[in-house]
Amino acid sequence: MTSLTLSRSSPSRWRSGLRGLLLQRLFQAGLVAWMVGTLTFVLTRTLPGDMAYRIAAGRYGHDMVDSAAAESVRAELALDQPALGAYFGWLWDLLQLDLGRSLVSGEPVIHELWHQLGHSLGLAVMAVLLSLLLGPPLGLLAGRKPAGTLDRVSEVAASVLRALPPFAVGLLLILLFSVALGWLPAAGHGRFAHSVLPSLTLALALAAVSSRVARNAMAEVSQSAYYAFSHTKGLGSRLSFLRHGLRNAALPVVAYLGVQFVYLIEGVVVVETLFAWPGIGHALVHAIVARDVPMIQGTALVMGLMFVALNTAVDLICHWLDPRRRET
Amino acid sequence: MSHPLLQVSDLTIHGDGVTIAPFSLSLASGQRLTLLGETGSGKSLIAQAIMGTLPQGLTPAGELGIDGTSYAAADVAARRTLWGRRLALLPQEPWHALDPTMRAAAQITESHRHVAGLAPGKARQATQHDLAELGLEDAGGKLPGELSGGMAQRVAFAAASAGGAPIVIADEPTKGLDAPRRDAVVELLARTPQAGGALLTITHDIDVARRLGGEVVILRHGQVVERGPAERILEAPQTEYGRHLLDAEPSRWPAPPRLASAPDATPVVAARGLAKSRGGRQLFSGLDVSVLPGEIVGVVGPSGCGKSTLGDMLLGLASHDAGEIQHAPGHRLGLQKLYQDPPAAFSSHWRLSRLLDDLVQRHRLERAAIVPLMERLGLDERLLARRPGEISGGELQRFAILRVLLLEPRLLFADEPTSRLDPITQQQTLSLLVELARERRCGVMLVSHDPALIARLCDRQLALEENAEAASRPSAKAEPVSLA
Amino acid sequence: MMQATLIAPLRRLAWPALSTRQRAGALLLALLLAFAWLVPLWHDADPARQQLVRILELPTLAAPLGTDHLGRDMLARTAAALRLSLGMALLSVVTAAVPGILFGVIAGWRGGWLDRILGSVADACLALPGLLLVLLLVAIAPGNFWALYVGISLVLWIEYFRVVRARTRVLVASPQLEASRLLGFGPLYLFRRHLWPELAPQVLTLAAFGAASAILAMAALGFVSVGLRPPTAELGLMMIELLPYYHEAPWAMAQPILALFVLVFSLNLLAGKDPR
Repeated sequence: MTSLTLSRSSPSRWRSGLRGLLLQRLFQAGLVAWMVGTLTFVLTRTLPGDMAYRIAAGRYGHDMVDSAAAESVRAELALDQPALGAYFGWLWDLLQLDLGRSLVSGEPVIHELWHQLGHSLGLAVMAVLLSLLLGPPLGLLAGRKPAGTLDRVSEVAASVLRALPPFAVGLLLILLFSVALGWLPAAGHGRFAHSVLPSLTLALALAAVSSRVARNAMAEVSQSAYYAFSHTKGLGSRLSFLRHGLRNAALPVVAYLGVQFVYLIEGVVVVETLFAWPGIGHALVHAIVARDVPMIQGTALVMGLMFVALNTAVDLICHWLDPRRRET
Repeated sequence: MSHPLLQVSDLTIHGDGVTIAPFSLSLASGQRLTLLGETGSGKSLIAQAIMGTLPQGLTPAGELGIDGTSYAAADVAARRTLWGRRLALLPQEPWHALDPTMRAAAQITESHRHVAGLAPGKARQATQHDLAELGLEDAGGKLPGELSGGMAQRVAFAAASAGGAPIVIADEPTKGLDAPRRDAVVELLARTPQAGGALLTITHDIDVARRLGGEVVILRHGQVVERGPAERILEAPQTEYGRHLLDAEPSRWPAPPRLASAPDATPVVAARGLAKSRGGRQLFSGLDVSVLPGEIVGVVGPSGCGKSTLGDMLLGLASHDAGEIQHAPGHRLGLQKLYQDPPAAFSSHWRLSRLLDDLVQRHRLERAAIVPLMERLGLDERLLARRPGEISGGELQRFAILRVLLLEPRLLFADEPTSRLDPITQQQTLSLLVELARERRCGVMLVSHDPALIARLCDRQLALEENAEAASRPSAKAEPVSLA
Repeated sequence: MMQATLIAPLRRLAWPALSTRQRAGALLLALLLAFAWLVPLWHDADPARQQLVRILELPTLAAPLGTDHLGRDMLARTAAALRLSLGMALLSVVTAAVPGILFGVIAGWRGGWLDRILGSVADACLALPGLLLVLLLVAIAPGNFWALYVGISLVLWIEYFRVVRARTRVLVASPQLEASRLLGFGPLYLFRRHLWPELAPQVLTLAAFGAASAILAMAALGFVSVGLRPPTAELGLMMIELLPYYHEAPWAMAQPILALFVLVFSLNLLAGKDPR
């Protein structure tokens, strides 16, 4: 086993510092829930007066709506109670994971979220894997020869991609692969082919950044004294790269993934909408347009928690890769 | 007599404004050679040319004989296969040469495993053996960031020599180490020739060259100034530059002007019973110190014993846990400091003239006082148009002295002000500092790692001990320097 | 006497030196600014005026960039959308940078409880991904420019705060600051001579990246129809409106995409460094 031999360390050493790290992320998750809860509560209070009627109309049909139906909506949003009490009631429900029913479909929110989360996670995981396949290897190659042809070409490509928002990239991909070439479906969900364009759209945006991060990290490592020493002590370029280059260059790339998840979450919202992908982001946008407060709260909460979970995963990988984090 | 292990014939280096004149050397088994020179003499480039690690833009020419095989100096690729096996390089600043994310033992083991070709178990055993031999039993599980400079140097030595290369090139191996650590590294280096290898050392430290012995080559601007056996070259150099270089050794410095003031004058600072702990560790306690006007007090002690902290306390920059500090009456600008790394004490964005103007305006100083002082310090007026990064370290440190002296300080705490400077510059800077301090009756506390320097310049010295003992001893009083 | 000049006036603050790449970005941005604000001077078409008899026309003298699906003048609309995006970017960058830098310097300089409080507030703002926070605020006040603006600024200030705070902490403990302090200089001098020259290039980078993200966020919301409302000329909104006509009028749909691309590209160039 010559590749990536991580310094042998006892289990207790690996665990040190882990508790603090997880507690911090747990706290963040609580903060996310509180912020989403509070903002959506404010939202219920700012709904215009006839909102209960309009929502009821949306749910039961215009002909069926009566004051009783409007009342039930009002009760559901606690619009008839004093603000402070209603606020704590709202948060209490949230704490019990009682997210209520969608004002549009009448289904329990948690039910709908369950399906959507699966779709969004699938898309996100595929996009991240694809971006990791595209970005860092390219960056590592470019970084071994800074200012070489590959470095220049990938820099221009990355600059162009970074200047295009994900929905524009998606549009261009649709125009190219669906409209002009007819290879892939433009929108929809079901078959594997449907997921290619949305995940590619997201992956391109992610890879544009991660390739440059990897490139800079690798360039820095190859100019470092320890990389030079690894060569002069006789390890050769292949072993030096595997034993000292890869891990040190991987650290910033993985750490930057945490930042990239912000883009991922944002990208999911627009890309799902563009490709009519039935995930959380799509649902959030629909809920906002329809002013379906329980759905807004549910989808935003799930996306926020997904963000926290992904960041926790990044923390754990960094913790495993970098022994320095485990000391002190 | 066998063939030489390392033979260099007419090695030249060109490019990027650098020229190294033809250089030759021959080292047989058990021999050693030291390249001695100041910054910019090209001594490190010669080592890099032999290894084949010259930076881009520099091309070597000439002939190398390694272990009887001949190589063209420009054929770098052919020499790569010798790295670690025939040629070992001890890096500058070992702290940075070790992978920050890999434990010390693993970095030695991989050399045994992949360079020497031992089986994994054997390689680990060999590592344990190395660690024990170098006194590093506890360091194996540590990361480089947790090692001291001396420990990192030993780990790097073990990692570099695990492949069993007979030719060892050490590039400034004592850079940044204090005197005892420096001696330990010299001992470490001496093992190579004792074991039948050949040692090529690059250094600016005359003392290191003397201790290593063997042949010494003095370089200047890429030219060999003088070469010969260490005993002869370092005792009676034939060339003017050689004499100049040796005269810059603290033990040969001319004695400073005598302290004229009466011993009962009011001290500029007097502290009694000082105590300080940092990070739960007692640095010192019951410390008494006083400095008379114009007096030079040396401060010595191992790294991390609290020398700088003591200075900060006396200057009012840090608090003390116990004891009292009394300053002679005067304005608050009377307490000043000189720093180890001159560029770090300046903002790199402004011209020196701007910084000087700021000071003059801030305190309504007499501009007339500036020019004569600049002349005394040997500072050309044209330097003022440059920024701190654009002049040499020696010039910048003298500018720092100028800035400080304009405020007529009573106490100047000089924290290793010349440790980053070349020997000749160091001597010039310090003798000026002492002269001016005497004249202006400014008390100076001079921190240094070099006992010879302290013995030469200081009226008294304050020796701080390693923390554990200092706590139990009554005090570390400033005592008269015993002039050797 | 001595105290008279203790507070050095905040005279010139130095501008960071720009690299070639940054200069190119600044030039491109200046051209876009000129385009966006000069077009209304010589081309007086109303961006909102519909002319249903001349929809999706090719460029003509009367409408140099053609018309959209409602017969509106594309040149006027693109220029108006650029003005809107640039205005939003400028506004949110300024509102984010000023408190971000101020709090960053205070937290880094003072340290202690103040630093901890400000740090926690920043962490709290970052707990949610930026766009999610903006989306929730937009849900409260749909189609409102100010809700969008507050949301974006709320996300952007943290970046300044963190960078400035970290750099300030390092500098405050540095020999250069200590030396100047011993020489008798006051806090404003220390800021002007020591802190600002180090902070300025980073602030410029953050400002350019921040402006780009503000513009992208607004366009993204417009694109998914939860941002500004029609008939506002907004880049994301124009894209989604013209999407159904990509076949008949590709030139029309290309315009907002191209405008957004050039705008963000110039800002990324101006930012200089790769993101890191």
